[in-house]
Amino acid sequence: MESAFKFMEMESNELNSSDPSQDCFFKPQNWDDSSLDHQQACDPFESALSSIVSSPAAANSGAGDGAMIRELIGRLGNICSNNNSGEISPSQQSYNNNNNSTNTSCYGTPLNSPPKLSLSIADHHIRAKLNVPGSYFPPSLVPLSGDPGFAERAAKFSSLVNGQFGMNEAEFGYRSMARVDPGKFSRGLSSGPGGRVSGSTPNSEKKDNQISRSLTPENGEFADSREGSSVSDHIPSGVFGGKAENGNAKKRKSISRGKAKETNTPSSPKDAKVAGETSESDAKRSKKDGASSSGNEKENGGKAKAESGDGNEKQTKENSKPPEPPKDYIHVRARRGQATDSHSLAERVRREKISERMKFLQDLVPGCNKVTGKAVMLDEIINYVQSLQRQVEFLSMKLATVNPRMDFNMEALLSKDIFQSRGSFPHAPYLLDSSSLPAFPFGYHHPQQMPPLHNTISTATGTQFPVNPLSAQALHRTPSLQLPAMDGFAESDPQVPTFFEDDLQSVVQMGFGQIQQQNFEGSMASPQMKVEL
Amino acid sequence: MMNPQRLSLSFSSTSYKYRFVQGFIRALKRINRQKLATSLLSRSSPTEIYKRYLKVKSAADASMASAVGLRRAWSRALLQRIRDQERINFGNKYYKYCPAGTRIRGKSTTFTMIRNIKRSSDDRNCKDQESINNGALGWKANELRKLVPGGEAMDMCNLLDETAHYIKCLATQVKLMKRIADFASA
Repeated sequence: MESAFKFMEMESNELNSSDPSQDCFFKPQNWDDSSLDHQQACDPFESALSSIVSSPAAANSGAGDGAMIRELIGRLGNICSNNNSGEISPSQQSYNNNNNSTNTSCYGTPLNSPPKLSLSIADHHIRAKLNVPGSYFPPSLVPLSGDPGFAERAAKFSSLVNGQFGMNEAEFGYRSMARVDPGKFSRGLSSGPGGRVSGSTPNSEKKDNQISRSLTPENGEFADSREGSSVSDHIPSGVFGGKAENGNAKKRKSISRGKAKETNTPSSPKDAKVAGETSESDAKRSKKDGASSSGNEKENGGKAKAESGDGNEKQTKENSKPPEPPKDYIHVRARRGQATDSHSLAERVRREKISERMKFLQDLVPGCNKVTGKAVMLDEIINYVQSLQRQVEFLSMKLATVNPRMDFNMEALLSKDIFQSRGSFPHAPYLLDSSSLPAFPFGYHHPQQMPPLHNTISTATGTQFPVNPLSAQALHRTPSLQLPAMDGFAESDPQVPTFFEDDLQSVVQMGFGQIQQQNFEGSMASPQMKVEL
Repeated sequence: MMNPQRLSLSFSSTSYKYRFVQGFIRALKRINRQKLATSLLSRSSPTEIYKRYLKVKSAADASMASAVGLRRAWSRALLQRIRDQERINFGNKYYKYCPAGTRIRGKSTTFTMIRNIKRSSDDRNCKDQESINNGALGWKANELRKLVPGGEAMDMCNLLDETAHYIKCLATQVKLMKRIADFASA
């Protein structure tokens, strides 16, 4: 086996340099001629291969030797799918098709029921090779581009081995693979979802540990992905489906290695999202997901792009569950370690919306910056809305009692108010601090509004007409007229009705002339102001 | 989906303020005229004041809701509520007190809008909504629903949306009413 093992190494090394298409076809002749010089180039590959060799060896007898070899080749071939994209001929596919049954029989034992895979080109390679009966070793296995790619290829290899069944997907994945930039592919693989635990062979466990560390992100997903509905989804999936044999723990460890961008995947199952919106809430959400949905670590189905692939992780408990097809990959990107069925995706989207709106409300409601958590925030929001509504009621009550004066000042009030609303008018609720009036929580969280009450009277009136000269006279008059009335009002409430009732006529006569003058001037001024408006 | 920026931009405060103040002042004038016309003697009686207070309050709410228009669910619900109350209270005289803009739109429009809101909220994923309703947040969410007009028909997501807009409008209303009250009483 060692020779074969080394041969595979050589094959991969040779494939690196040589023409991949040729490798597929012509390597067999070089089976015995290949040198073993390339061995040392790929240490992880060697160790991985050794594990591959050793693990199947235990399970298989002599007849299984070829099976194991084919398995190894398949895995290696997966790796070479990277470089061989687009170069697999259809003949290989048909070749694979014919021998599918044979392969399944060989691999039935070591492998658990492998899920269908949308295999990449490498899979086709490997199948072509594997379909060769006997100990014939299709050499065009793995054009290793280097150590980083090795693990991926090994994962592909295993996935190929495992996924013998999804020929259609394989073809689909092949064709889609052809269009994919291999560089992107490898990147996607490395940063891709965590290895999915599918029912794959336990034999490859050891191998997985070593080989698929960087690949396990993709493993789970690929093992489970069914249809080649999206290129990015299934190129990795097809390749790495077979790798999803280990428990998720191993996969998580492996994720941090290699090219995986998300080194924090073990701790926080989220990674750079393509959508990239509420990434912070992802951590919370993923934890919430753990609480809410039992199938937390199902594979991520929704992959829109290959690059910032989300880690797919499947819990060991998920192994028994049937893998689900990727859903909703157009709109929502399922995050690492999170469920991917449509319901959980929709739920997650809704939770995102809700948390976003809670944040916005936090800005609206004063004094909510330190508050965290939905419950307390909701309490604050409820209190604030209640206080605002009470303020409205209070002010309307006040207006109901103060109404008599409204008639006279309507025009002026309107124009002034408009003007005020445009400017930053320091509103002075000086009338409200009187003890007769009910103690109202006038400012919700701003009791500091209360102190500057009387001080702002003159300034308030002063700022009413900063521009209009016509109303300057009115302005001068209003303080004199208003002050006594205001004082009267401020002193005690009961005085107001009496003031209006008894002395209404007198007051009107007294002040009406001035008020009318004011009004007149104000109304004269108002057209100007309205024009300005 | 409303993002916060869109939410803030949709609240064009100046035109809203203007519309609100216009409507409100008009309503106040009406109420004042009515008050002066009807009861010269018992102007200060508590019942009169209370009735006037109710009218002023509904006028304030109506002018606020009509200033917002029918864009938001809460304004629609609020207008509908006010109309129902006014119809009960005043009968034929109801339409006199309606702000002109809202009077044009028929009752059916508002009803269909509210009905559509309810229907669309049912179509959404009920599971999450149920979990929110039944959980610890459910009680608080229901409290909020009671506060925000038209909130009963909304799911959590829309409820928060409407709450944000409602809070903004309420704050503006309070500010403007303060100014009016100060001006009127000064």
